[in-house]
Amino acid sequence: MSPKIRWSGAVLGFLGVALVLVVHWQVFFWVSTERTMGVVQRIFYVHVPSAWVGFMAFGIVAICSAVYLWLKDERLDMAAVAAAEGGMLFTAVVLLTGPLWARVAWGTWWTWEPRLTLTLLLWFIYLGYFLVRSSTENPERGKRFAAVVGIVGALDIPLIHVSVQYFRSLHPEPVVMKPEGPSLPGDMLTTLFTGLAAFTVLFFAFFLFRYGLERMKRALVHRQLAGDAPLPEGVAS
Amino acid sequence: MKKITWSFLVLALLVALLPEVVQAQGGLPDPNALANQNLRGYTHMFIAYSIAWVVVFGWAVSIARRLGRVEKALKE
Repeated sequence: MSPKIRWSGAVLGFLGVALVLVVHWQVFFWVSTERTMGVVQRIFYVHVPSAWVGFMAFGIVAICSAVYLWLKDERLDMAAVAAAEGGMLFTAVVLLTGPLWARVAWGTWWTWEPRLTLTLLLWFIYLGYFLVRSSTENPERGKRFAAVVGIVGALDIPLIHVSVQYFRSLHPEPVVMKPEGPSLPGDMLTTLFTGLAAFTVLFFAFFLFRYGLERMKRALVHRQLAGDAPLPEGVAS
Repeated sequence: MKKITWSFLVLALLVALLPEVVQAQGGLPDPNALANQNLRGYTHMFIAYSIAWVVVFGWAVSIARRLGRVEKALKE
């Protein structure tokens, strides 16, 4: 891995961990408790930043995939793979923490309301992104198919955002991203923004390392195809 | 005397049943239920944070292990 990627990743990683420590102090010792839901509302500070990072990651996948289809630059496909892996993991956090909050707030673990259903669909679309990539015999064709899935999948993200406004939903209306400005109290907004910053910085740190890993994996595969070295177990293209 | 005893017994039964009747109509909160709900809120919050950090830490470990394997293979 290039020293530039390694150092950038390490710096972002340390910054991310520092921000995570700050957000934990805020969540557990500083921010006020919400009146109606009580302490379980604090899941908000991990649920929303995970959703933000997941959607941002899938946005990166869509942009990189679109430009990859145009320019055929291998680095864009590597960036898309790295972002898609992170996006899937952070969306999984959203899908797991949401029911824990819903069980106390709504009295049910899961309900097939629009936002939940569309977020689950998003996760499955990006699962399909990896399945399509590995299911073709021609790797170049797999990359192109996956790029198309990556672009189409991102169309689900604006739908998730507006689903609470246009469909009957148990999810509350947006409290931050609305035209008249955020309606959250100051301490809750500060904690949320610290959480968003922590998760974003941490994501980019891991994204850089994952991108570096993808580059090295492909270098290894190219070398193996050239007959210089055998492909070790667990290192797939 | 017998009438007084019966009246006393009926009154005692009513008093004994009264909180249950009120509670069944939703008039009085069950203090245990409230405590359980509060405890459940804490439990769910800690599980949610644990899941998040297990996933993030797991991703970091997974990347580090795969990097180690590929670096080793590239050096060979």
